[in-house]
Order: sequence, then structure tokens, then C-alpha cells
Amino acid sequence: MLKAVGHLDADCFYVSAERVRDDFLRGKPVGVLGNQGACVIAKSYEMKAAGVGTGMPIWDALVRCPEGIYVKRDFRWYEVLSRQMLEVVQQWSPRVEYYSIDEFFFAAEPGPDGSFQRLAERIRGAILDRVGVPVTVGIARTRTLAKLISDMAKPFGALAILDRRAEEELLAERPVTEITGIAGRRAARLSPWGILTCLDLAQADRRLVRSLLTATGEALWWELNGEDVRPIQSRRPSHKALSRGGSFGEATHRPTVLYAWLVRNLERLIEELEYHAVAAGRLTVQVIYKDGRSGVGQATLPVPADRFDVLLDVVRPCLRRAWIPRALASHMHLIADNLTARRDTPADLFESPARRARAEAVAQLKREVNARHGRFVLRSAATLPLASIYRDTANEYDICDIRGKICF
Amino acid sequence: MCVGIALAWSELPTELIGRHGLERRVHERGGEREVRFYFRDRSPRLPIWRDGRLEIARWGNGRGDSRFLPRTGWTWLSTVQEGYWRELGPIAVDIPATIGLERGVWYRIRQGIRGILVPDERGHAVVYMICEPASHYYQVMTRSNRMPVLIEERI
Repeated sequence: MLKAVGHLDADCFYVSAERVRDDFLRGKPVGVLGNQGACVIAKSYEMKAAGVGTGMPIWDALVRCPEGIYVKRDFRWYEVLSRQMLEVVQQWSPRVEYYSIDEFFFAAEPGPDGSFQRLAERIRGAILDRVGVPVTVGIARTRTLAKLISDMAKPFGALAILDRRAEEELLAERPVTEITGIAGRRAARLSPWGILTCLDLAQADRRLVRSLLTATGEALWWELNGEDVRPIQSRRPSHKALSRGGSFGEATHRPTVLYAWLVRNLERLIEELEYHAVAAGRLTVQVIYKDGRSGVGQATLPVPADRFDVLLDVVRPCLRRAWIPRALASHMHLIADNLTARRDTPADLFESPARRARAEAVAQLKREVNARHGRFVLRSAATLPLASIYRDTANEYDICDIRGKICF
Repeated sequence: MCVGIALAWSELPTELIGRHGLERRVHERGGEREVRFYFRDRSPRLPIWRDGRLEIARWGNGRGDSRFLPRTGWTWLSTVQEGYWRELGPIAVDIPATIGLERGVWYRIRQGIRGILVPDERGHAVVYMICEPASHYYQVMTRSNRMPVLIEERI
């Protein structure tokens, strides 16, 4: 049987998800706001046609689309629909990769009629019927080709292309930057060699592609030529790094507020370390400022840890290094890497057993209280300057809290 | 603060549209008609649910039609709760709205907004929108420090 890979991409997913529960929004220009209401994180095709882009600040979006309707994001709801879509696809395929909240790759197996085109149409129809979200499905010999096809077939498309001639026609029409993984700098490396379209890349010398784009580029070359070298991962591989952070919504230069964000991000990061049963070997604090500057502080732990008191002692000086006095900071990221399985983490020989026992008892109490009464109910008092953030229950759940996805 | 609302045309009875001349407030968005009520309109009005009936009432006293009602269209929730309006015999009303407007931002409202209805010196019903300090999200979204008290919803 001919093997193929499918790619499913929900059409303007967050907006479609809002429309599932709110018919009023259908046919209207709609923007979903994230980052505490500052930026458009998803827009309907009507709003896109008016020139609004993803990530655009709401004040710029208003100029382009004054009739747009703005909706607050609700990741709990989007996850519900995302997992429903995943279940539908799993009924049609033995192997499905949960790539992101609105994108899946799957092993495509046609029904008794042997038609991949009908398979794409059936999956698209099943998701619309059972979940209510319009999606586009592309099927091809490899995942890179399948994604190119679904990008081309949007919105609400279903298209299977498996013969080489049709593939070449498709590749000849698409600029090389449409391939996921080839953006500005990589495209600039290809351009002097006359590699401008996807077909140019597919027909280029493989060794040249490898020298220009390393092994990642070579994998894309194989994929464009129909060799499936990037397997579908039905289980997410272990994380190499975990991170928490993002936009503040309102930029700040106040050290107490920056410290409060650091502690908030740390408490969220610890939840994630505990969930994956790993300890952090190195921590990085990155602060991004409104004037374009950024500051970084990094520290390696003598012994990997996942405890609040230990990690806070490490990230505090990192923030000091990342801090630019009086500059307005807009984003912060806290990254843990050099992860070690918790069971393999040695004890810190220089720490008194009493201190360790006390800290672990506090951590346990915090976990139990929050499990019973709600996330962040018991938290560090250092987060008090962010009382309004905690008051908004929508901030309790973010896109990064949706687990099992390959991609952010 | 919410300076305008829109209500889907289909939500308003034809008789009410005709009686209050609401046709001039009709706009189209995404191919659907809606009736917009602005506080800065020459004749500011708001729809209200009163005793199970949809009515149209004057929105506040921004133009000074009344000599003793406050010259605004909004009141703080705390002011209502503290009994500031008690002497006027206010009636709690719901203001149906599908979208709210604040500093150019149209945002979705699921049910409506809380309001109070009071009589002026001539006995005409005047509605004030109830507001509260803006949530962080609303403040970032609209740059306003006041937000309407929504029915079973908080932005």
C-alpha cells in the first residue's frame, strides 16, 4: 500500500473556536487578544483581509480594522476543541503527531476505495461535523510536502497530491520561504545559488544544500524529493529545556514588579519541572526591553534542583544581570535546561537535612493547597505587585500549559 | 467606561425600532445589521429590560436635560451599593448588548450590562450604566480605568 503523510491545520483556530460557542461572531471581523489584552494573537479571515497581522498590537489593529470585534483568549476552551480534533484524527489514523494546538501530522491510510483525496475530505468533514471547526487537510508523500499542500489549500481545503509531476508544479509556484524552517537568513544563503522556489531547492545538489543549511536543510531536501525522513511522533520526546514567561502586557521599569514576574515565572516553571519529574541544571533569565535592548543572566546549579528556595537563590542574581535600570521592560523568559531526571539527582551534600526537609514540606503543602483550592491560591508574597494578574482567572492557564504538543 | 454598545438588529422588536426611530442608528458589520447606541449621540439612548419587556430609555444626563440628575452616563457600583441613589428609588435593569465600545475597541459582550433606572424631575426614565474599576485585561485592552459591570461575565 502507498504510504503517505497527512497534515491538518485548523483555519484561524482561536477565532473558529470562539465561533463554535458564539454564532454571533460568524462572518464578522474577529480578533482574539492574548498577552493580557495587548496583542492580536489570532484573527479571522475578514480581519486579515483588512491588514491585521498576528502579533499586532491592538492599537495598530484598530487603525486597520475599526469594525473588528475583540475577544479575550480562553486556552482552556481551545484545548478542549483541540483534543476533540485529535480524537477524530486518531479514528482515521493509527499514528498521529500532536504538533501544536491546531496542527497535527498523521500517517495517512486510505479506505477501501484507495483514495487519499477522499480521505482528506472525510477527515475535514468529520471535524467540522463533530467539533465545528473548519480545517484544511493536505496529504503527500512526506510531511514537508503535506504542510506545503495544506498551506496552499487554505481555507477549508482538502487536497492530496502524490504524483511527482503534480508535486513539481506545486513546488515551482512556492517561494522557498514557505517551507517551515527556511526563513530570511537561510533563504539569503540559498539565493546566490539561484535557489528561490521550493522546486529549485528540491532540484539543487544535495551536498550543496547540506553545506548551506546543515543537516536540517538536507532533511528538507529529502522530504521535498519524496523521501519521508522526519517520522511522525505520536509521543512527545523528552524536553531538552522548559521555559515560562512572555509579555507583561504593560511595560515596567519597577524592580519590584520585575521581581514579581520572575517569581511568578519561577513558580510556573517549577510546576512544569515537577510534572516532567526533572530538575534544572542551568537557569537563564532573559528580559526584553521596549527600546529593543535585552538583558540575559545565566547560572549553572552545583546540583540540579526543582525546589523553589534553591532556584530562587539562583535566578535572583540572574535577574540583576539582565536588568537595565530605568529601561521599560516588556517581556521576560525564564528557561531551565541541562535537565536531569529527578530520581537521578544527587543530594546537595552542603545543605543541612533539616533545611531540606523544611523546604520540601513547604513545597508539598503548597502543592496540596493549590490542588484543592485552585492554582496559585498559595503563592509567594513576592508576587503581590501582580495582584490584578492573579485576579483574572484567564491568566491561570496559558498555551504553554497544554501538554503533549511537540511545538509551542 | 463603555461609551457605546451595539445590539443585533434581530434582537430588537420591529415596533420598538419604529417607535424610537432606531433606523438611523443601524450599521452593518460582517453583512449583519446592528443598532448602535452611543453616549455622544445627539439623543443618547440605551435599550433596557424592564419587567420582562425591552424598552428604550434616555442614557444618563450628559446634555443636562435634568437639573438634579448627575451629568454623566455612568455610576460606580460602589456608589449604588452605598445607597447614593436610594432617594431616587432606582430600579436595577439589564442593558442588553452584543458588543461594547471603549476608545475605539469593540469587544464582545455575552449578555449585557448592569444598569439602574431613575426618574428625572419630569418623570422620564433615565438609565445609568454601572461601572467598576477595570480589570488588568480590560485596562490593557482599552486603556480605560473603568469597565462596565457585565452580566455573569468579567473581562
